[in-house]
Amino acid sequence: MVKPAIATPAATNPFFPLPFLVISRRRETRDTVTLRLRPLSDVRLIAQPGQFMMLSVYGVGEVPISVSGLPRRPGELEHTIRAVGSVTRHLVALHPGDQIGVRGPFGTSWPLQLAHGQDVLLVAGGLGFAPLRSALLAILRERWRYRQVIVLYGARSPADLLYRRDLSRWLQRPDLVLRITVDHPDQYWRGQVGVVPNLIRQVTAFFEPANTVAMICGPEIMMRFTIRELQKHGIPDERIFLSLERNMQCAIGLCGHCQLGPFFLCKDGPVLPYSRLAPFSEIREF
Amino acid sequence: MSDRSVLELLATHPFTADLSEDQQAQLAACARIAHFEPDEYLLREGQPATAFYLIVSGLVSIEVFVPGHGPRPLQTVEGGSAVGWSWMLAPSRWEFDARALERTTAVVFDAERLRALFLEDCCLGLRLVQRLLFIVTERLRAARLQLLDLYGPPRER
Amino acid sequence: MASPAVIDVNGLAALIAALQQEGYRVIGPIQRDGAIIYDEISQLNDLPFGWGDEQEAGMYRVRRREDNAVFGYAVGPHSWKRFLHPSPVVLWRARRRGNEWMIEEPVEDSPRLAFLGVRSCDLHAIGVLDRVLHHGSYIDPIYAERRESAFVIVVQCAHFTPRTCFCASMGTGPKATQGFDLALTELVEPDAHRFVVEVGSARGAAILQQIPHRPAEPTDVTAAEHAIAQTAASMGRQLQTAGLPAALLANLEHPHWDKIAQRCLACGNCTMVCPTCFCFSVEDRHDLTGTVTERVRRLDVCFTTSFTYTAGKPLRQSIRSRYRQWLTHKLATWVEQFGTFGCVGCGRCITWCPVGIDLTIEAAAITGREQTTEGVV
Repeated sequence: MVKPAIATPAATNPFFPLPFLVISRRRETRDTVTLRLRPLSDVRLIAQPGQFMMLSVYGVGEVPISVSGLPRRPGELEHTIRAVGSVTRHLVALHPGDQIGVRGPFGTSWPLQLAHGQDVLLVAGGLGFAPLRSALLAILRERWRYRQVIVLYGARSPADLLYRRDLSRWLQRPDLVLRITVDHPDQYWRGQVGVVPNLIRQVTAFFEPANTVAMICGPEIMMRFTIRELQKHGIPDERIFLSLERNMQCAIGLCGHCQLGPFFLCKDGPVLPYSRLAPFSEIREF
Repeated sequence: MSDRSVLELLATHPFTADLSEDQQAQLAACARIAHFEPDEYLLREGQPATAFYLIVSGLVSIEVFVPGHGPRPLQTVEGGSAVGWSWMLAPSRWEFDARALERTTAVVFDAERLRALFLEDCCLGLRLVQRLLFIVTERLRAARLQLLDLYGPPRER
Repeated sequence: MASPAVIDVNGLAALIAALQQEGYRVIGPIQRDGAIIYDEISQLNDLPFGWGDEQEAGMYRVRRREDNAVFGYAVGPHSWKRFLHPSPVVLWRARRRGNEWMIEEPVEDSPRLAFLGVRSCDLHAIGVLDRVLHHGSYIDPIYAERRESAFVIVVQCAHFTPRTCFCASMGTGPKATQGFDLALTELVEPDAHRFVVEVGSARGAAILQQIPHRPAEPTDVTAAEHAIAQTAASMGRQLQTAGLPAALLANLEHPHWDKIAQRCLACGNCTMVCPTCFCFSVEDRHDLTGTVTERVRRLDVCFTTSFTYTAGKPLRQSIRSRYRQWLTHKLATWVEQFGTFGCVGCGRCITWCPVGIDLTIEAAAITGREQTTEGVV
């Protein structure tokens, strides 16, 4: 039974991807692009910042990718993808007009409600800026809901910085504290050199630890050291939120690959408060 | 800024803020205020290590000069932190360059007088050495993390 | 429900025929390739009359019995997940037309299945799978379709020595009391080979009406109870479940994990024979022309390094961590996730482990509890 692509029964079968069209492709770095996607059907998949979609390249496979932006038009999606494995290599090579499959949204989102009326501290490392960018865009859209907004971003080198146009715009904003650091500067870099956790001490004057919500995303080691630094400055564990990465194949808590202790990170995560992760975070290979 | 005294700066700098007024005065007696323009060197590799810098504001790059590449920044140090500890192990020379990336203000201590003060008042000496050790630890941890190359390069992952 | 009935061997044949008549594919025990396995049966003679087995940690043999019992064996390497949670499964197919992909639903009639010979432990295992695949926030449509139509005929455990079993300590057997359509207790007496039938559903009662049976006498019921009680009393293993999840999670760095890792081959046999292990992987495969592609899922094994492959590296590299993941999931984190243990005490993982790792012993060693290999004999 052949069904037209626009009528896939995704509502009844959670494994069916919906057809989407790539409408734009922006090269971020040597190996990373940001794609904007538009649905080929009437179905609107509304993702909250922090949630992820499963993106399918037909014949190659499917990968979980966080939403990295807000829809410009209802139903649109924006994803930043780095070529790491076979599926992501294919995704990065897509061009406007290409069709891909999309399932979702899945998982938990950043605690934007909790952050209303609070200081917000976003700490991003490397590609971890992608899921935090959607949170930041949502925060800036309703900037008046939040007190101080602080963004700390670390990348490998200046050439690895994502969203450069956004960054230069955000650096001009008086209502946003943005600090950027790189591990390996090039000869033109005039900014900070060093790891992200070291930036936290520089911005302590901007947040009140008990009334701060921190959101972190980056490599696990970077998150570990960042958490310790935030704890030193008095931010309670239940106000430190992380987005974790694990192998995800079904995205609906049935395939078992993304398990971490009592969590299936595809549905109980990827965003979780550190207070819930703490019992397992020091257990290696758990 | 320029009209603030050394004592005023020591009273607010995180490194010295919680010392007693007497101790701050003792330290102030060994120090002066210095301003550095962008690209001006605070200290240079190979020169005698004769000073200790508390960075008040600005941004300083700790770096090494690589022939054919020019200055290679390893870490940056911002206002509220400190630069230089080779002087503690006198007589010694600086092992890296420190160059201002932005206009930078620092309290500069005379190393010889500082060492003498530490020996005279061992309590104060120990407190300050502990603080220096804290900074050294932080810098070392950062260097180790940088060594891990956390964010890539993806082709090796 | 209706009061118990009794059928004889001919009644059993009639039961199979009645189910087939109703459109069920009857799945039951077959002696094949040196083991009692589950597969489609067409007639009474397919059943393993007179076959039993011998099991120990790392050992399984079929044995001729001295009697002609049909269900005189302990559970073998197969479980019902093979039919409820089949592998591989084509999730969808896509066909390329120019630049467009058309997605098709695989045309596959989901069979109505009747399971003949479901042990109490395996009935509970189906209950565990129900919680994972059917009763959560997301429902697996493949499982749901098969499960909802499945006709379940329990066989109460009797007439064998349950060497690697520990259902009694898991509270999952040996007697099944609910959740079935029909439940048989085999009584192998000279000239009186018969089955006491309990009815568990209206659907079960309706099938029973179609086959020759008589009401059970009190002596039949007593004999059945006695046979099951004997199994309960000869349970080969036990596991102390009180406080077990917390005790395991408090010992995630116990040195005993290293000792197990020295023996464990990470072969994954335990997960494959486990009636509740549900993990699967998903992959795409396409034809040579690149115009047709299929997304396929197949059961996966948490003992492989690829299982946790994330951003180019497996997260659980050591065997220690992979065994720990399996055991703590079964006996600890499963409880937090789904409200039951992920273990029903069937003992398959003990029997089919090529090096004879016994989770009842390992769990006891890690939590510092008293444990006897032999249990109550």
